[in-house]
Amino acid sequence: MLIAIIVAIVVVLVLVIVVARVVRGRQDPVDSFRRQIDALSPEARRPTIDQVRDAAEDSGETDADDS
Amino acid sequence: MARDLAIDLGTANTLVYMKGRGIVLNEPSVIALNRQTGEVLATGREAWQMIGRTPGYIVAVRPLRGGAITDFEITERMIRLLLQRVGVSRFTRPKVVICVPSAITEVERRAVTDAARRAGAADANLIEQPMAAAIGADLPIDEPVGNMVIDIGGGTSETAVISLGGIVSLEAVRVGSFDIDAAIQNHVRREHGIAIGERTAEEIKVAIGSADPTQDENQAEVRGRDLMTGLPKTVLLTPEEIRFAIEDVISSIVASVVRCLSKAPPELSQDFLVRGMYLVGGGGLLRGLAERIERETEVPVRMSNVPLEAVVLGAGHVIEHYEALKGMFMGARR
Repeated sequence: MLIAIIVAIVVVLVLVIVVARVVRGRQDPVDSFRRQIDALSPEARRPTIDQVRDAAEDSGETDADDS
Repeated sequence: MARDLAIDLGTANTLVYMKGRGIVLNEPSVIALNRQTGEVLATGREAWQMIGRTPGYIVAVRPLRGGAITDFEITERMIRLLLQRVGVSRFTRPKVVICVPSAITEVERRAVTDAARRAGAADANLIEQPMAAAIGADLPIDEPVGNMVIDIGGGTSETAVISLGGIVSLEAVRVGSFDIDAAIQNHVRREHGIAIGERTAEEIKVAIGSADPTQDENQAEVRGRDLMTGLPKTVLLTPEEIRFAIEDVISSIVASVVRCLSKAPPELSQDFLVRGMYLVGGGGLLRGLAERIERETEVPVRMSNVPLEAVVLGAGHVIEHYEALKGMFMGARR
């Protein structure tokens, strides 16, 4: 009896995972395109670029200190 | 938990961007091996210093040529060592985005992704260099306007027109700054009868090389081995003769830019006249190249603020927004 319950739970879990993957795979193309464009906006890119710029400035200061 | 990585696996240099950290590695794509045992002796800057200066049993090689893997096994070892250096271990397997030339073949694509997976990546995806460069150069590629980017690397030169997050037209040639170095080596050998190494050729390019006449031109004294006597010899090189020596390579790059412009839709072409084209990549730093392209295309050419890091920065941005931007990977588009 216990084994049957465990098997049933596993089967339900597998079904949930499969359904979730299928639903995620069928994303609305308009929504997906919009998210891509939003992620490419200057505001979205700012943290990435600033992060590198800050690191470059820090290393520049360190170099200056060294010399 | 592994931090995901973006890798610009260039013919000349390899740069690694770590998610949330920024650029964590920037080194020449060179590996030094013991020819007899196959043991890796050095990578990156240390190996670069060995080029042309090794005893017979050591070989310092660039496993990528023309943007393509020429030796799969050595490339895999180099990627494995690079990943180890940035903290990737057997237990921390990150997602990796690798920038590759847009013109690579299906076989080459598979070689790069396989090399990354075997080297420790949980998942490896590829992104075209010009697209990554446009993202990293901070061009407004999210807007419906023509953005043109010219990426001149060590082994390839690529020009792309990008609008609304996608490549509209593209032109790539397997010619880059290493071909400029090779042209200088051949010229010095042919005209002056002396042999010079690839590092010396690169130094000549940096010191007096140019694609168009510039102000403050100087001559350069170069030392090499006389081909007749075998003895060390010094010759004086002029900027004019270097320009003449590299003319074929420069013409080929400029011609590919012109071809890309001619393939672009007319609605986007008019944007270039206002916005200009953006030059990225180490090859773009050659003196007079921007002016030469501008003269031949009659379109303004602007230098990116981060010419050497633009590609890895772009790929780094993709790794930061992996879910939203995974549609940009090579092979993901329909």
